[in-house]
Amino acid sequence: MTALQDKHEKEIKHILAKYPTDEKRSAVMPLLYIAQRKAGYVTKQDMLEIAELLSISTTEVASIVGFYTLYHDKSGGKYRIQVCNDLPCALRGSGQFLEELCENLGVQVGETSSDGILSVEAVMCLAACDKAPMFQVQSHSDISYHENQTVESALQTIEKWRAEETDK
Amino acid sequence: MSELVKNEAAQNMVTLTIDDHTMSVPEGTLVVDAARSIGLDIPVFCYHPKMEPVGMCRMCLVEIGTPMRDRTTSEPILEDDGSPKIQFFPNLMTGCTFRASEGMVVRGYTEKVTAARKEVLEFLLTSHPLDCPTCDKGGECPLQNLTMQFGDGESRFIYDEKMHSAKHVALGDLIFLDRERCIQCARCTRFQDEIVDDQVIGFSNRGRALEIVTFSDPGFDSYWSGNTTDICPVGALTTADFRFGARPWEMNASASICNHCAVGCNLTFNTRREVKSGGEKIIKRVMPRQNEAVNEIWICDKGRFAYHFTASDQRLNQPLIRKDGKLVPSSWELALDLVTSRFKNAGENLVTLAGGRLSNEDLFNLAELSAHLGGDALLYSDMAGGDLVSRLGVGEGTNFSDMGPETAILVVACNLEEEAPLWWLRIKQAAERGAKVIVANPRKTKLDRSAIHNLRYEYGQEAGLVTALLSAISPKQPKSPAFVNKLAKDKEVKAAAKALSEAENTVILFGSEGTSYAASAALAQACANLLIASGHIGRPNNGLIGVWDKGNAQGAWDMGLRPSEDLDAALKTSQAVYISAADPAGDSKQYASALKKADFVVVQELYMTATAELADVVLPAQAFTEREGTYTSGERRVQRFYPAVPSLPDLLPDFGITAEIAGRLGLELEKTAPASVMLQIAEVVPDYAELTYQKLAKVEKQFPLIGREDVYYGGTSYQNSQGLGVQLKPAAQNGDSPVLVITELPEVKLSGEELLAVPVTRLLDLGNTVTPSEVLVTRLAKPHVALHPQDAEKLGVEWGSKVKLILNGSTQTVLVEFDNSMPHGVVLVPRSLGIPIISPTPATIKVL
Ligand code: SF4
Ligand code: SF4
Ligand code: FES
Ligand code: FES
Repeated sequence: MTALQDKHEKEIKHILAKYPTDEKRSAVMPLLYIAQRKAGYVTKQDMLEIAELLSISTTEVASIVGFYTLYHDKSGGKYRIQVCNDLPCALRGSGQFLEELCENLGVQVGETSSDGILSVEAVMCLAACDKAPMFQVQSHSDISYHENQTVESALQTIEKWRAEETDK
Repeated sequence: MSELVKNEAAQNMVTLTIDDHTMSVPEGTLVVDAARSIGLDIPVFCYHPKMEPVGMCRMCLVEIGTPMRDRTTSEPILEDDGSPKIQFFPNLMTGCTFRASEGMVVRGYTEKVTAARKEVLEFLLTSHPLDCPTCDKGGECPLQNLTMQFGDGESRFIYDEKMHSAKHVALGDLIFLDRERCIQCARCTRFQDEIVDDQVIGFSNRGRALEIVTFSDPGFDSYWSGNTTDICPVGALTTADFRFGARPWEMNASASICNHCAVGCNLTFNTRREVKSGGEKIIKRVMPRQNEAVNEIWICDKGRFAYHFTASDQRLNQPLIRKDGKLVPSSWELALDLVTSRFKNAGENLVTLAGGRLSNEDLFNLAELSAHLGGDALLYSDMAGGDLVSRLGVGEGTNFSDMGPETAILVVACNLEEEAPLWWLRIKQAAERGAKVIVANPRKTKLDRSAIHNLRYEYGQEAGLVTALLSAISPKQPKSPAFVNKLAKDKEVKAAAKALSEAENTVILFGSEGTSYAASAALAQACANLLIASGHIGRPNNGLIGVWDKGNAQGAWDMGLRPSEDLDAALKTSQAVYISAADPAGDSKQYASALKKADFVVVQELYMTATAELADVVLPAQAFTEREGTYTSGERRVQRFYPAVPSLPDLLPDFGITAEIAGRLGLELEKTAPASVMLQIAEVVPDYAELTYQKLAKVEKQFPLIGREDVYYGGTSYQNSQGLGVQLKPAAQNGDSPVLVITELPEVKLSGEELLAVPVTRLLDLGNTVTPSEVLVTRLAKPHVALHPQDAEKLGVEWGSKVKLILNGSTQTVLVEFDNSMPHGVVLVPRSLGIPIISPTPATIKVL
């Protein structure tokens, strides 16, 4: 029951040291980052461990994972491509962009490619409405924005990632 | 909040006007509460008077204005007619988060407000399934009621775009969630979080996709889960027991009292005639009934779900007599005549043994009959001190809700949430208001979270610990054993003693964690000494409370029954034994063999218990749901319960059966009307002198004003219209001045390899009154023991594994759990799980 702790002992200690002992619960966000970095999503086991480390309930940890869109409780692609299709972006053609991107990638919205490298999600406003169509990518521990996109430019970037991954 | 309304005298009052009604309320009262306090309604969904406001649902929008003042002079600006000029906020305000201030004007019925209500409802209904015809809440549903009152007949949203979600999600074994019906008010999650401190359900996701989740194991792991179904303003949360059981309007309501523990929560039984039950009236569900001095509007899951024993198909329905070694049906006449003649012969060698779930009336008649023959009337209990509680119990007018910083509360030898859940809740809330809670127990309990001092001692030292507290405040105590002196020097103990003695009010609750009868007697006396020495007796919110093992144990003490110090011997040497509502043979082989030796055993019961199996005559009694009576709680509040369902044919109430026997022995006892028994009790038992059934049925206005007409405010808990009961004055409040009695402290000795097995209490045990409720079965504790993980390691035992437990001459296979807060060398054995344990006892554990 201590897989997370065993693997990241030092880092966890370092994080916990930043909070008063009776306010350990505040460390939940950074601990969730660590957990997510491990597998690209937070496993139930991780939630149990974090709850125990912070003396809060597993349900509370799960609620936090559920609330934030950038924490995931299910496995997905190594690159999570999050296309905004909220109203302003939609007015600038993000709907069609998303559709064509998926067609080209052979992946449905909300699903992961068979090689496990990509998943495509439709999300709400990412505060770059004026640069639509746009998407955000969540990979490893990074998040990056890709604005003023066309299907071609997006595909190019994505192919580059794919190549990097297959080289590894 | 409503509590503020109650304490008006102490508060700064402000005057405000709501819809042309002018009223005075304490400053800071929320606008919705102010309105409710005079019966005006501002509809709410997320607000609940027992919780902090969150302003999430917007149902309570109203127009709010405050008197205008001149900016330069600060003088009020007046209208032409001289009345103050009111400036209204440009937008509607949430009445649940806005606090009353001087001169405020609230408008709850303007066009603007009504339009807003209509819109909020329309919005909530966009994702609502509208399956009222099959929804359990239909008929008592705030959303349905408010839609009828304010909503529009039609929605502008596209029906096909409704959000669809799972409809039968078992959050646990007791509670089901319909995700479509949830309106995201967070009442349930806040209740679990703020009120009962079990964060086992929470929100996941957001927006329309928001849903209630549970990640505890087992799901929704809380003793309080049923309450969420009362306060959920829609039919999203339902109990496994009641869902699809009946429509609210088809049911009758009858007032009752829970007798599972010493709190005495006020209940309402909802009943209905049913074809399924051959046209008989049966209980469909148990609801809390408001009594702000007892259970407020809550009950625990034991009280809510463990009622099926009263209607079990195992109920005895005719007298049985032993013939040729077998129990065979008999007529009442024959059975009673036989009992009478044997009791007559036994005379003073009759032993009467009664359980603490009987009513005062039953116990009184039993005690009278026993006294008539000169026999002993015994209470079947391993706890002592009921006599002390009647002398030094909490004063009349005691209410946990009134306790704050001026009060200290000591809870000793008690796992309060397991032994008396509602008291745990109310003391936790007192702690939140500033009461100084001190918990003394050998291991961690949930109440530790609320305590300012957690005192640990070894099992068996409970009386010593309390004596140490006493010596810390008044050092001139007679010579105490070394461990007491050592404890008295402990910093934490000293600090706790100081808090207890300096507090204006002090209440002590003692339980039965790890105690034998002798230890309980020493503990109760030590607690009494501490209260006497510190002058905390004879006043409201001061005194001693016994966390009894049975609902009416205090009543039994008051009626003159006493536990026996040596029940085994008492049974063996009797000529006749009259047992009612107790199952000693089921609890202990020793008692079983003692009963086998007894000449003649009569058992008056609901079903065939292990004890009844050994009887010569078995007399079937009515269940408490089929008759009237009274119980006395641990706070010495006498409360009435009423019949909910008709009796099984040909059965009598316990006091009636006893009166029949007594009559044949020439003693006239009341056999039909419990109210008349109460009149006799009033003549004989001084503390009960003033009581009548009429007085017990009195009610007064309670805050918050919850009501069945506007269930959106407080939930579906019932208003109390049939009696708040009467709290008795302890002798100390009537001028009795008790003195310290120093008793010898019991010591426990162990030898060699043995562990000390100590009895502890689990709420959901395998007792006779619990197991018949099938809905609870998966939630009941399995036969298990708890060890310190290090002891377990030494023994080579793993968590969850099976071991052989040898104690009191019996061997049993049990599961092992760990508790790393408990002392070493001890094995905790929960009572009523089929493991025979009555007092601390040496035990051995063998790995299988
Ligand atoms: S389940 Fe009921 S109480 Fe809980 S958030 Fe939903 S509507 Fe509110
Ligand atoms: S707290 Fe006690 S009296 Fe109240 S419902 Fe639970 S078991 Fe019954
Ligand atoms: S709507 Fe797409 S970024 Fe704002
Ligand atoms: S916002 Fe006031 S009741 Fe919900």
